[in-house]
Amino acid sequence: MDVAGLVTPLVRMSGITKRFGRNVVLRGVSLDVYPGEVHILAGENGAGKSTLIKVLAGVYGDWEGAIEYFGHAARPRSPVEAMRLGVSVIYQELSLVPAMTVADNIFLGRARGRGGFVPQAEQRNETRELLQGIGLRIEPDTPVENLPIAAQQLVEIAKALSRDARVLVMDEPTSALTAPEVDTLFSLIGKLKREGRGIVYITHKMEEIGRIGDRVTVLRDGERVGSRPARELTDAELVRWMVGRDLGPGFSPAAGSRAESPSRAAAAGQERLRLQDFSVPSGPGSPRLAVEGVDLELRAGEVVGLAGLQGSGVSHLLLGLFGSYGANTGGSVYLNGRKTVIGSPQDAIRHGLALLTSDRKATGLVLCRPIQENAVLADLRRLAPGGWRAPARERAAVDALARALRLKAASLEMEAGELSGGNQQKVALAKWIQTGPRVFLLDEPTRGIDVGAKQEIYQLIHEWTAQGIAILMTSTELPELLALSDRIVVLHRGRVTAAFGRGQATAESVLAAAMGVES
Amino acid sequence: MLAFLRQFAARALAGPASRAVVALLLMLIVGLIFHADGAFYRIGTHRDALRQASVPGILACGMTLVIISGGIDLAVGSMLALSAVVFAMTALWWGWPPAAAIAVCLAVGLLCGSASGLLSARLRIQPFVATLAMMVFARGLAKTVSHGAKVATAVQNPDGTYRYVSLPPVFRWIDSRLAGDNLSAVTLIFLACFAVCWVLLARHRWGRYLYAIGGNEEAARLSGVPVAWTKTTAYAMSGLMAAIAGICQAAQEQQGDPEAGAGYELTAIAMAVIGGTALSGGRGGLGLTLLGVVTIGYLEKILSINAVPEASRLMLTGVIIVAAVLTQRRRNT
Amino acid sequence: MNWKTLSALLAFVTCFTGCSRSPASKPGAGARWVIGMSQCNLGEPWRVQMNADVAAAAARHPEIKVIYKDAQNDTLRQRAHIEEFVSAGVNLLIVSPKEAQPLTEPVAKAYRAGIPVIVLDRALVGEEYTTFIGADNRRIGRAAGEWIRKVTGGKGKLVELKGLMTSTPGQDRHSGFREAIQGSGLEVIFEADMKWLEPESRKEMESALARFPKIDVVYAHNDPGAHGAYLAAQASGRHQGTLFVGIDALPQEGQAYVRQGMLSATFLYPTGGAEAIDMALKILQGQPAPKKITLGSRLFTPENIEKGGEALQ
Repeated sequence: MDVAGLVTPLVRMSGITKRFGRNVVLRGVSLDVYPGEVHILAGENGAGKSTLIKVLAGVYGDWEGAIEYFGHAARPRSPVEAMRLGVSVIYQELSLVPAMTVADNIFLGRARGRGGFVPQAEQRNETRELLQGIGLRIEPDTPVENLPIAAQQLVEIAKALSRDARVLVMDEPTSALTAPEVDTLFSLIGKLKREGRGIVYITHKMEEIGRIGDRVTVLRDGERVGSRPARELTDAELVRWMVGRDLGPGFSPAAGSRAESPSRAAAAGQERLRLQDFSVPSGPGSPRLAVEGVDLELRAGEVVGLAGLQGSGVSHLLLGLFGSYGANTGGSVYLNGRKTVIGSPQDAIRHGLALLTSDRKATGLVLCRPIQENAVLADLRRLAPGGWRAPARERAAVDALARALRLKAASLEMEAGELSGGNQQKVALAKWIQTGPRVFLLDEPTRGIDVGAKQEIYQLIHEWTAQGIAILMTSTELPELLALSDRIVVLHRGRVTAAFGRGQATAESVLAAAMGVES
Repeated sequence: MLAFLRQFAARALAGPASRAVVALLLMLIVGLIFHADGAFYRIGTHRDALRQASVPGILACGMTLVIISGGIDLAVGSMLALSAVVFAMTALWWGWPPAAAIAVCLAVGLLCGSASGLLSARLRIQPFVATLAMMVFARGLAKTVSHGAKVATAVQNPDGTYRYVSLPPVFRWIDSRLAGDNLSAVTLIFLACFAVCWVLLARHRWGRYLYAIGGNEEAARLSGVPVAWTKTTAYAMSGLMAAIAGICQAAQEQQGDPEAGAGYELTAIAMAVIGGTALSGGRGGLGLTLLGVVTIGYLEKILSINAVPEASRLMLTGVIIVAAVLTQRRRNT
Repeated sequence: MNWKTLSALLAFVTCFTGCSRSPASKPGAGARWVIGMSQCNLGEPWRVQMNADVAAAAARHPEIKVIYKDAQNDTLRQRAHIEEFVSAGVNLLIVSPKEAQPLTEPVAKAYRAGIPVIVLDRALVGEEYTTFIGADNRRIGRAAGEWIRKVTGGKGKLVELKGLMTSTPGQDRHSGFREAIQGSGLEVIFEADMKWLEPESRKEMESALARFPKIDVVYAHNDPGAHGAYLAAQASGRHQGTLFVGIDALPQEGQAYVRQGMLSATFLYPTGGAEAIDMALKILQGQPAPKKITLGSRLFTPENIEKGGEALQ
């Protein structure tokens, strides 16, 4: 039902512009939410969706533009104020306290009672009513950490409802849910709609947009591309809205797009890696699979790009292949044609694999140790065969690496944490280059890096492939992935939805496959 | 003048090593001032200050390794007692040759340390909890093995009378003085333990693994570092150090006391921390601990020769620990 | 952790706690009386000796059976043990309390319930018990001072190594000693709190040796302290010509040190274990018992050690 113009919107955002320093993240974005509608907010990573909802939720105080909450202009200075105005956000990383009970979580910060004492019985009863209202059958005294993710999410929703939220914002709520749990969530959303609440729903998944969306607004590079009732917007148009852009002056992968270069076609050598029916659990000991039934081939000297949006499982694939989940992966892995079991990162390194992780600060570098130590960490077994180290040999190796990578640091004894993002990434790369890998897994190699450093990394990737190294990389920047990859494999919800050979991939087709559109 | 002093202070307090050296120098200056009728000028006083710091110092060497890897070992005092009791029983009561007695003690230390390590690294029990359990268990084991009494030269006969066994030479060697009465043998043993731990930390890849694990365990794991094995062996080393400390303790008391070493774990931690090794892991080193050991040894000696009352000593030590940690805090420029 | 591991662990732990090694009297085939013995801790060798003395004395009387409970230095646990003895209906209770105030009432309850109570070593508040048996630390300290005064002719440089001065024995052994040497030519040149511990005592003695060229007497509040001081002096070759005096005189510690020529003298701090059993028998046989028995001490020196020392007045 198109209600625009007949009813006052619950929330109207007009001309929202948000800057971080000199970086303009949102530019004149407008969004409104009507009672009883599910308004889908779509866009690629980095389009500005999270920033927009954070502005709505009062996380940021300094933005330009205007917001009307239920007809009154307001500028909440904190999430609490926004909640009082009737807007609640359910983030992907749920904001519940795991060790506390459901009742305590729901009443967190607003416990009734005098003098600090909490009336347990009263809270418990209210909680029970609330939970029944949304169809969740659990005891209010259950500690939240004992509940499955799906139930925890429903508790979050209950918490929002208990504060009388008229507008709920849900950020990718189904990324951790199974199909029946998604059904439960969607029927609850239907109920909330009938109660006249408004829902802003962020998702990548085409099937969901079609299923519950009333209107769709697409953001791209911080601007609003357009809004349309969901029924009227075709998949193809949606994808075009999300992707269609000039490549811009800042981007030029060295030597042009690989897939179009004729010399590349002849370069691919013998098979280095083959995955057959490969699966990876979503966590240690978890029965759920983050990656399922993946078949993949990788040859010497070629770059295969893994495309996938958040929750698609690409990082899990790389980690699982690298032995991070032990021998709990399913299916078969063939290295140089021979079936291999990789049970640990040590195994992987021994077999000539290297993994550049997606978060260099958290899992890539030891920030409190010097560059020198970080750079040799993965290769100590070869550099110090009997166990005793030869500092001179290590120094020489790192000196050479630093020069080759054009690492800018005052001294190699500087702590890794003191370097800039680009230089930190170079240290992480140096560490892996030192091991002399034959298969190099790159998880978001240019994340958080300035343009100049990105160019240097693109150049390095070319050099490595010329040396015969096989590269499997992921990137959420589609243009980058398209330009660097010889072939592209797309994952959606842990399964391969498309595989593109040389020169076959386009941004739209890749994004469509990543969103789960049946081709 | 003021500017020069400020610059000098800034440089002196720049790195953890120089800060530790400054602390030690300050301690020595205090000793020179409060020399207690010239006692501080006698070389015997210095020899004794080092002697009394040696046994906790040996513990501090192993403790440093464990702390750098991101853990803690609360069991070292109890393992010391267990080793002291075992050494006294084997060498004193059963008359085993010194090499055999020492070997058994070292084996016991390695075993207990490895157990703590396995609990912590493989069963993923928090180090504080795992070593707390070992602390209680080893103490109980020491008391069980010794029937709750000191293992000394006086041995009870079945009829209730006592006979006396002679003290084996190895006890006297360990408790002897060298270099013309100016150095205690246990100080040399401490320095030897220090040297072994230092060379492992600084020159062996195992040392690098310890730093990496303490600094960022997940990054270390994903870089192919054998995390469980490294952590377990770190605790095993701590147990080995505790065993050596127990042997030295037994020799210095001429008995194996199951109650020995109570509270020594805190002294060992203080020595490592005051030296500059961070409790959070990933930073520090044996050289710093050496400075910490000597500084605390001198602190206690100066308080002792000046007959400072016990209550004041406790308060003073508390203040000094806080001051040392505050100066150790890294200045983030 | 799965159930199998858990039950294996539980079985292991039960085994260990089951094998406690406190000496139990073999009950004679017709043990008439059951005595409950509540010990505040078995960490101190002196208390281990107390229990051993009780056991040795009880072994000679097959008509009594003693049950031992160790409170591990926990006042509340000792209170629970006393209450357990009362509900088990023991014929007599021997208590060596950790502290006076918290344990007075549980003991009083037992006493009012008709169970005779013998209190050992540390006094309780009030009068609700049958007999108190203990030694007088002040008297022992005084005896030590007097002996030192006699042997040195009242002159000399003295080092006092004190036990925990926050504990009553430490305070008493200190004040009694100082009373005795008052007005003599004995000069206390160095004193320190060695907390009853041998390694601490050795450290303090080393400091004293570094500071003073001549030390005639070392008075330590307990034998481990005296032993530590002796070893420190011996290492510096200054043990000849110095008197080392300690207190406690446990057979395998203080007396052994005297026999081995390390200590010049040690004073018995009697445990009272044997006396407790003797008094218990008297009480159980219906004989009257005095309210307070102060145990005497004995002096052990190299000269009289073979004769078993000599009793003090």
